[in-house]
Amino acid sequence: MKNLVKLLFLFLISYYNSYGQEAFPVNGVDENYKPTYAFINAHIVISGEKEIKNGTLIIRDRIILEVDSNIAIPNDAIVYNLKGDYVYPSFIDLYSDYGLKKTEKESSSYRPQYKSKKKGAYHWNQAIHPEIHASHEFNHDKERLKYLEMGFGSLLTHKQDGIFRGTGCLTLLANNQENDDILMDKAATFYSFKKGASKQRYPTSLMGSIALVKQTLLDAEWYENTSNHSNISLSEYNSNKYLPKIFELKSHLDYSRLFKISDEFEIDYIVKGIGNEFLRIDEIKKSGFPIIVPIAFPKAYDVSNPEEAMDISLSKLKRWETAPFNLRILEENKLTYTITSSGIDKKSDFIKNLRIAVEKGLSQKDALNALTVTPAKLIGMSEKLGSLEKNKIANFIICSSNIFNDGIIYENWTGGKKNTINKKIKNDIRGYYTFNSNNFKDILVEIKGSKEKPQTRIIKIDSSNLKTTLNEKRVVIYNDAGDFRCSGVYDEGTIKGRYQDRTGILHEFIMTRDSSLRKKERKERILKTTDVPDVWTPNKSNGLAKSLNKKSLLFKNAKLWTNEDLGIINNGDIAISNGKIIAIGENLDTNQIPDFEKLDIQVINLRGKHITSGIIDEHSHIAISKGVNEGSQAVTAEVSIADVINPDDHNIYRQIAGGVTCSQLLHGSANPIGGQSALIKLRWGKSAEEMKIKNTDGFIKFALGENVKQSNWGSFNTTRFPQTRMGVEQIFYDAFYRTKRYKEEWENYNKLSLRKKRETNPPRENLELNTLVEILNGERHITCHSYVESEINMLMHVADSMGFKINTFTHILEGYKIAKKLKQHGAGASTFSDWWAYKFEVNDAIPYNAAILNQAGVVTAINSDDAEMGRRLNQEAAKAVKYGKTSEEDAWKMVTLNPAKLLHLDNRIGSLKVGKDADIVIWSDNPLSIYAKVEQTYIDGECYYDQKNNLSNQERDRNEKIRIINKLSNIKGNNKIKDRPRKEKLYHCDTIEHE
Amino acid sequence: MLLSGLANGQRTTLLMGGIAHLGNGEKIDNSIISIKEGKIDLVADLSKIRIDPDAFDTIYKIYGKHVYPGFILTNTKLGITEIDQVRATHDFREVGDFNPNISSQIAFNVQSKIIETVRTNGVLITQATPQGGVISGQSSVMYLSGWNWEDATCKANDGVHLRWPSSYYNTGWWAEQGKREKNKEHNKKVNEIIGFFEKSLSYSKSNNTVDLKMESMKGLFNGTKNLYLHANYANDIIDGIDICKRFKIKKIVLVGGEDAHKVINHLKENNIDVILNRVHRLPKNEDSSIDQPYIQASILHKNNIKFAFSYAGGMEAMGSRNLPFTAGTAVSYGLDYENAIKSLTLNPAEILGIDKTLGSIEQGKEATFFISEGDALNTIKNNVQYIFIKGEEINLENHQSKLYKKYKDH
Repeated sequence: MKNLVKLLFLFLISYYNSYGQEAFPVNGVDENYKPTYAFINAHIVISGEKEIKNGTLIIRDRIILEVDSNIAIPNDAIVYNLKGDYVYPSFIDLYSDYGLKKTEKESSSYRPQYKSKKKGAYHWNQAIHPEIHASHEFNHDKERLKYLEMGFGSLLTHKQDGIFRGTGCLTLLANNQENDDILMDKAATFYSFKKGASKQRYPTSLMGSIALVKQTLLDAEWYENTSNHSNISLSEYNSNKYLPKIFELKSHLDYSRLFKISDEFEIDYIVKGIGNEFLRIDEIKKSGFPIIVPIAFPKAYDVSNPEEAMDISLSKLKRWETAPFNLRILEENKLTYTITSSGIDKKSDFIKNLRIAVEKGLSQKDALNALTVTPAKLIGMSEKLGSLEKNKIANFIICSSNIFNDGIIYENWTGGKKNTINKKIKNDIRGYYTFNSNNFKDILVEIKGSKEKPQTRIIKIDSSNLKTTLNEKRVVIYNDAGDFRCSGVYDEGTIKGRYQDRTGILHEFIMTRDSSLRKKERKERILKTTDVPDVWTPNKSNGLAKSLNKKSLLFKNAKLWTNEDLGIINNGDIAISNGKIIAIGENLDTNQIPDFEKLDIQVINLRGKHITSGIIDEHSHIAISKGVNEGSQAVTAEVSIADVINPDDHNIYRQIAGGVTCSQLLHGSANPIGGQSALIKLRWGKSAEEMKIKNTDGFIKFALGENVKQSNWGSFNTTRFPQTRMGVEQIFYDAFYRTKRYKEEWENYNKLSLRKKRETNPPRENLELNTLVEILNGERHITCHSYVESEINMLMHVADSMGFKINTFTHILEGYKIAKKLKQHGAGASTFSDWWAYKFEVNDAIPYNAAILNQAGVVTAINSDDAEMGRRLNQEAAKAVKYGKTSEEDAWKMVTLNPAKLLHLDNRIGSLKVGKDADIVIWSDNPLSIYAKVEQTYIDGECYYDQKNNLSNQERDRNEKIRIINKLSNIKGNNKIKDRPRKEKLYHCDTIEHE
Repeated sequence: MLLSGLANGQRTTLLMGGIAHLGNGEKIDNSIISIKEGKIDLVADLSKIRIDPDAFDTIYKIYGKHVYPGFILTNTKLGITEIDQVRATHDFREVGDFNPNISSQIAFNVQSKIIETVRTNGVLITQATPQGGVISGQSSVMYLSGWNWEDATCKANDGVHLRWPSSYYNTGWWAEQGKREKNKEHNKKVNEIIGFFEKSLSYSKSNNTVDLKMESMKGLFNGTKNLYLHANYANDIIDGIDICKRFKIKKIVLVGGEDAHKVINHLKENNIDVILNRVHRLPKNEDSSIDQPYIQASILHKNNIKFAFSYAGGMEAMGSRNLPFTAGTAVSYGLDYENAIKSLTLNPAEILGIDKTLGSIEQGKEATFFISEGDALNTIKNNVQYIFIKGEEINLENHQSKLYKKYKDH
């Protein structure tokens, strides 16, 4: 239904926009004659689907009157004979900022900016400006020529800034008065996740942008039914909401992020893509968005220095190699896509890259459609643009031959107006000539080079190349030194003219052609069956070439750390199948294993090895895209790490190699109420959605102390409330009082009868408070970053008095001082084994903390908060044994069963027990020993890490790298780019910016 | 042979039955060690000699326990910083690019609360090293015990620290590629270094009035000071060594050396010892094998390159108590145990030039060692029970153990 409405609407506006001359005053006399043009004998490509080998195209004013073979040519028509030439509909670029000024960033102020500086009743956030309209500012400029040279005849242009960017206008490139060239003043609305020029703090992270998009969509809906509030931005959004929506994405991972929004709000988007859609094509296919794809392929890397070459990451090398196949892969996956010139620096690269894409297996037909028919359709302009059919706008290019092979563009007609791009050379003057004049006899001269740019060489004298210009029939030949200058006229194989000698005397000469240059046998471009390079998930070192499968395995004779009543079984057996643990015990008999006969179980003897359940990291910040903190406001419960999981992060692989199978990805600690967590299993190679653990309770990050007070952020960060622990307390009280009022408002509304509801405007839905309501309802649980005893105590008081519980205090380095209070409140603790002295508030942190808390009966975990430490949490657990004399079994639970309890997942993971997930690790030694190494890690019964495979992967990755480096070193040219190994960005709690 | 501890009326100590890891690669399973005048008087196999215990003032029966020379922590800001986020406690980075005259010794806070917690895991000696700039200053070798920096000093100004400019230049940010240019500053900085060395070498031969910076460079040319070359990329390591060699600098030690295993021949040819980066770190880049930081030590060892462990990196002061465990990880990735110990003791002692008196448990050397109930490199076994520095037993209490005592039964 929604789509139908949209289509109808588009239909209407496309007619509404049908052109008409507006009465502009004329300075002089009115030149109103519009001649008819006939283009005859042309190879007319009407669209990807249809072409006429020898056809005629007739246009008048700016409309195509007729196109066909064998049609009558009007008497008054200006006739162009295009014998041998190709005519194509000109291209359409939906993603451009042509004719618009870039939005400048305001100069930085010393203090952070928390409020919008824009005057007027606009949106509170400066990155949300749907009120900006390209047509209000649009003006043709000299970039027009650049687009014409690339073959474009119409563009959809918009101000490429902000999150809600406003509308774009569709314009011809005819260079008429803007009023005439603009075909649709509002052709589409534009969006992105990048806040652009706005200096307002919020949002600082990708998850913040996502939340802001969602909240704005909710607000727009709410605004339609409210009367006591004025907001130009929302009003503009609403009045343009039936236009096509184009969303710029910056990463292949953004597709699934936008898909969730699109799904939730039932909005169809067209996506401005990245050019690397091949990286996660299955997921992108699932999202189903039409894509506007750039073809600015990565430049070749300079591999001349072997050390530097080996430091170029395999992911970049693989991307360089595969990017030209992107369009073909989109086509093979039956996605709708169009091509944009966006991102192309050098205009000649556009056609060049287009041809490369065709060479790599994109069909010419599909390439043409992606440049013409598809973009026209996407913005509802099929009636006017996209093919050479009667009554459509006369937008077409005339080329010397097939543009996807080597055709050059002679002319680009837009709106019935000619733009000459390359002069058409009628005469091919090339060949071997004999030159004769009164003082030179029978000199052999060769004119070679291209038809358009010939070059002359006097073979008999010095064979040096002479400059040659050709203008219609006039040929001028001269050398750099200027001592040879001649000018003549070409006529059917002879050039007659005069040259000047050093004394200034002019001599007549005649050159007669003996033979044309032997045309090189042009090899038909045979479509090389170029194979698409292997794409791994993720497409980098240790990426998966094929998916894993769940195994049925029986491990025998290992030492089993069960974390259950069975304790440590010294010589035990454990069976897994279909992702679950199906049997465990000493010397298992096959009849103790359910369905043993059917399962085809592989038996593996692990004498001397240790088996544990997988490590669970209660506090992790790996695998997160673009910002772990939305630290811009004191309360940001609306943001969620689940929106920004990065399944491509190689730290996932590094950590499964350290025995980690499950992590809570937490928001940072930059504000008292942070964002929602994501619980993932480290299913390396899977997508973000597939990594998430299904059906879990909700979690959220709170934080206390120096980070939320911005104590260590420099002296300019002293304006955001709170700056003291006193203020922190008030933030919590305020947030929960607001939540209670909000909850009541909705409860009252929901109590209304259906009839009453129709008469009453619903309250404004607030994503931040929605999340906090979940806390009051016991549906979302708090993990609170905390250090000193006073603040921990404070938050428990807030919680008790407002009617919720703190699930986990994380870090909680002074927890040992108030262990009994924690126990009483029912909070768990997730701590560092031995970190301290990195800031003032951790001066009293002690490595005995975990032991004391555990002793007091508090559920105690040891976490990493650090990508490096996450690789060896087993060693960190060992420190509870070293310092606090915790038993080995209890210490081991601190990185397995206890965090499972804190995450409310202990019924599924955290111990070796029949029925639980087969998340298990095989160790070479006691896992608490420094000498223990992970031999295999299983998640859901699939082997995600294997010491032996790791070695063969290393070999494979090295060979792949060498292969591509060799390929690169064969590439000629000196515009290769240097690469440097970038320092990896790793997130901690207090990482503020993602830039 | 009968030993009499009371000769000359000096205090004597006897340790019986320990598994002695001598630090020089050897081990005595059932050892006897005696201390006299702060020095090791005897190290022997208990089963091979007879002794008269009555002849000693103090006797420690340490059967089955492990004895190690005090571990030496190289390249660290321990003692010249206290709390990472509190600037007032930072005394490790001076303003300016060329500061060879800066000396860490006088800023060393031997009463640091962190030091007491590092000591109790077996680290007894440290090379307090300034950071920043191109020439950061001079390090000094310090004991982790003393009344003041003077008596904590083991060797003042052991060397000058040169941080080789990285050949790469960072632009853009991690998620979006910026321009990938070579560090244009790089050549400029290298030229500055060359100019500085030229001047220093010339000064060392002249009779100029005192120039503080030049004066502190003198030792590099007469062999009394080491040049610590901090470099990580293969090309930078090679360039750095070659340029420093040009100026006849007597002893160059490579610090960091992320790519050290790639330039083994160059290190060998030039006789370069290495102070490694922290073993517990992330691999160099996404393509590096996941165990690259762990196996590097064993690769260097197999190639006969002398190296010492360090704990340089984030939060290095408080974290340096984990130095022994990082060596443990190197053991599980191929380095043999006694050589891991050597890389914590005799190797760094030789590199720092204190091996005449320290670095191993050998007769005549200082009695600076400790006793752990179990394997000191293994987290679950490391339990330091006695510490001797210059023959004196050190109190094992620290800020943290006091808090533990106070709160554990609260």
